[in-house]
Amino acid sequence: MRLDIHYRTRFAYAGHVSESQNELRACPAIDDRQQLVHYDVRTTPSARVSWYLDYWGTRVDTFGIRLPHTALEVVAEGTVDTVVPEPVEARPPRAALDDPAFRDEHLELLQPSPHVALTATVAEVAHRHAGQAADDVVALAHAVHEGLAALEYAPGATYVGVPVDEVLRAGGGVCQDFAHVAVAMYRTLGVPARYVSGYLFTGDDATGADTDSDEVEVQTHAWVEVAVPGHGWYALDPTNRQQVGERHVTIGRGRDYDDVAPLRGVFLGPPEHDLEVDVRLRRLAVGAPAAAGIGREPSRATLVARQRAQQQQ
Amino acid sequence: MSDLLTGYDRGGLFDEVFASDGVVRPHYLELVRRVRDLTAGDLEHREQIRDAIFRTQGITFTVYGDDDGVERTFPLDLLPRIIPAEEWDVIERGVVQRVTALNRFLDDLYVGEQAAVHEGVVPRWLVHTAEGFRREAFGIPMPHGARCLVSGVDLVRDAQGTYRVLEDNLRNPSGISYVLENRAAMTRVLPRAFAAQRVRPVDHYGPMLLRALRSVAPPAAGDQPVAVVLTPGAYNAAYFEHAFLARQMGIELVEGRDLVVDEHVVSMRTTAGLQRVDVIYRRIDDDFLDPVVFRPDSLLGVPGLLSAARAGNVTIVNAVGNGVADDKAVYAFVPDLIRYYLGEEPVLPNVTTYLLWDPEQRAEVLDRLDELVVKPVAASGGYGLVIGPHAEDGELAALRTRIEADPRGFIAQEVVALSRHPTLVNGHIEGRHVDLRPFAIAGERVEVIPGGLTRVALRRGSLVVNSSQGGGSKDTWVLGADPAVNGG
Repeated sequence: MRLDIHYRTRFAYAGHVSESQNELRACPAIDDRQQLVHYDVRTTPSARVSWYLDYWGTRVDTFGIRLPHTALEVVAEGTVDTVVPEPVEARPPRAALDDPAFRDEHLELLQPSPHVALTATVAEVAHRHAGQAADDVVALAHAVHEGLAALEYAPGATYVGVPVDEVLRAGGGVCQDFAHVAVAMYRTLGVPARYVSGYLFTGDDATGADTDSDEVEVQTHAWVEVAVPGHGWYALDPTNRQQVGERHVTIGRGRDYDDVAPLRGVFLGPPEHDLEVDVRLRRLAVGAPAAAGIGREPSRATLVARQRAQQQQ
Repeated sequence: MSDLLTGYDRGGLFDEVFASDGVVRPHYLELVRRVRDLTAGDLEHREQIRDAIFRTQGITFTVYGDDDGVERTFPLDLLPRIIPAEEWDVIERGVVQRVTALNRFLDDLYVGEQAAVHEGVVPRWLVHTAEGFRREAFGIPMPHGARCLVSGVDLVRDAQGTYRVLEDNLRNPSGISYVLENRAAMTRVLPRAFAAQRVRPVDHYGPMLLRALRSVAPPAAGDQPVAVVLTPGAYNAAYFEHAFLARQMGIELVEGRDLVVDEHVVSMRTTAGLQRVDVIYRRIDDDFLDPVVFRPDSLLGVPGLLSAARAGNVTIVNAVGNGVADDKAVYAFVPDLIRYYLGEEPVLPNVTTYLLWDPEQRAEVLDRLDELVVKPVAASGGYGLVIGPHAEDGELAALRTRIEADPRGFIAQEVVALSRHPTLVNGHIEGRHVDLRPFAIAGERVEVIPGGLTRVALRRGSLVVNSSQGGGSKDTWVLGADPAVNGG
C-alpha cells in the first residue's frame, strides 16, 4: 500500500520564546516491510534540519530556532510503500525463550523500563492469560494479545506516563497504554518485546478498521513487536486486537514511549502553551506520484500539552 | 641521634620509604637526610608557609556530607612521595596501555561494530545494564578515538609493593590542579630538597591538554580551533580546578548559559558578539549536558549540544557515555580488553575482584563480607564504599540485603593493604596509607604526566584516600633516569 503522510505540530506560546531546540521522530522506518519514497521536514520559523539514525535505528530530525517567536510549526511529509508482514511459520516451544543466547541478545527488551514496570499485578494477569495457551511462543503471544481485549479503548482517558498498574486497574486507556501493558506482560513471561511508534490508516480509532475514504485524520499510533525464536519479530496491535498489516506504518521501536516520543525539546520562554497535532494519511495507488499535496487546512484539535510530549492515540 | 624519624613504625606493611629491614630505599636517601636535619619547629614553620600559599590561591575542595562545612583545604603533606625512574616506566607503560584499550573499547561500542561484545570479551548484558552506557551517544564520532581524552587511573601498591589498578576514572577525573599547585608550593616550602633531586616537571600539563583538545577539533574547524572549559559553576566541588585549567590553557571558562546552539553550531557569547566554539572540555556530567536528550530539567547544560556534536560541528571532551567503561563491574574485564584489542598482556594487574551476579562468587563474598571491600558499580569518589574489616555488624547486614536485591549493583574486592608513607601528623611523623592517580591525556597519542596525585588517608589505619572522604595529598616526584631530564 502506498500512503502519503502529513504530520503537523504547532505550538502557540503565551509570549515570546527566545530559543527552542527539538528532536522529531516522525519518519517512516525503512525495513523489510516498508520502503520510503520521500520524506521532508520543514519548520516555521524556518530552521536548518539535520537528521541521524539513533541507537534503535529510528530517523531523528533535529532543529533549533534562535529567533524570538510566539509559535512553532513543524510539518513532516512523506510517502511510504508498505506490505503485509511475512506470516510466522515457526511454532517454537516456550522453552526456546530460556535459551541463554536468545535471552542475552534481547536483554534490553526483557527488562523493565521507565514506562514498563514489571509489577506483581502485571505478572498475575499475564500468567492468567498465558495459562490457557498451547506450549508454543506464538500461541503464548496470541493468548496475551487476546487477553488484552478486556481493556477498553478510552480516547483521551490518559496522558503519557500512566503506570501500567493504573491502566490495568482503570481497565482501559489509549494506544500507548495498551502497548505499555502488552510489552510489560510479554517481558514478564520472558518474551522479548518492544514498543513501536507509528501511524495507522484507519477510519475508526476504536477498531482500527479499514475505511472507504482515501484520506483519514488520525493520531500517531503505538503497538508492539515480540521476538519469536527462529523467526524474528512478530508485530501485534493490542489496541485494535489485530495483527499488524499494510495499513500500519512503523516510525521506530524502543524499550518504551521514551525511546520513540514523536517530538521532544526544550524552549526558553513562558511555560504555558497550546499544542495542536494533526496527522493525515492518504491512500494512493501504487506508482502514483509521491507527495501529491494533501489539503493544507487542518482540523483544529487543540490540546494542552503535557511535558511537550505529543499525546498519542 | 634523635630526630623526627626515630621510632617510625612501619607496622609490618609495605612502606614507600623504608624497606622491610628498616633501610631507607635508595631514591629516598636524599630526602631522609634532609628531614633528619629538621626540627619539629622547622617543620611547623614550613607548614605555615604552605598554608599561606594555599590560602592565597583559594584552593579548597568541597566535602559532601561533612557537617563541618562545605569547604576546606585539601591538605598537602610536606613529605613528598618519590618514584624512581624504573618504577615510573612500568606505571607509564601500564597506564598508556590501559587507556589505549579503553578508548578502543568505547569507540567500538559507540561508533564501531561492538566486536568485543559480539565476541563475548565483555558480556553484552553487562554493557546494556551499565548506568553509564548512553544510547543517546550512539554514532557521535570522536577524532583519533580519544574518547577518554583525560583519564585518571587509580593505582595502589599491595603488600609486595606491586602497583595495581584499583579503578579507572574516565568521565570527569579531577585532581590535576592539586598536582600542579602542590608542585608549585613544594618548590617554595622545600626548595633545597626539591632542587637536589632530578624531579621531572609537571607544569606543561596545561599546554599538553590544550594541544590534545585542539587535536580533536572537528574537521570543519579552522587552523586555530577554539576550545573552552564548561563548568557547572561556582557551587561545584571542583570549580576551583575548572577555573584553574582554563587559566593554565589561556581559554575561556564558560557555563551552559554562555553557550548557544544555532544551526547545529555552538558559539559562546562574548563582549564582541558570538564566537564559534570547536571543542568543549566539559566538566558537567552526561545527565546534565543537553536537556533535549538527557534530563529535561537540567539548567546547567546546553540545549542542542549533542545535535551539534553529531553534526560534526563541535567535539565534546571527554566523550559522552564513557561511564560504561569505568563501571566497576566492567573494570573486571579490562585486562581481557587489553588482550583483545592490543594483543598484549596487561602491564598493571587489577585488584582481585568478585562479580556478585555469579551465584558461586556471591556466596563466597556473602560468607566473607567482613573481610572484603564492597563498592557500588557506578559511584566514584569513595561514595557508598564499605570496608568489611572496618564495618559494624549492622552495616554489613544492611549491605548483604542490598547485594541480594541487586547483585549487578556491586562488586567486591580483596582488601589491598595499601602501601604507607611517612606523613606529618600533629608535629610528628607516622605512616599513612597512600594511593596514586596518574593523569593520562589522549590526543593523537596517549601521554602520562610524570607523577600524578598521591592521596593520603590522614586518619590512622584508614584505607580511604579520596579527597571527598577527608584525605590529603602529597607532591609526587618522579625522578629522571637521565641527568639531562632535570626538571625545575
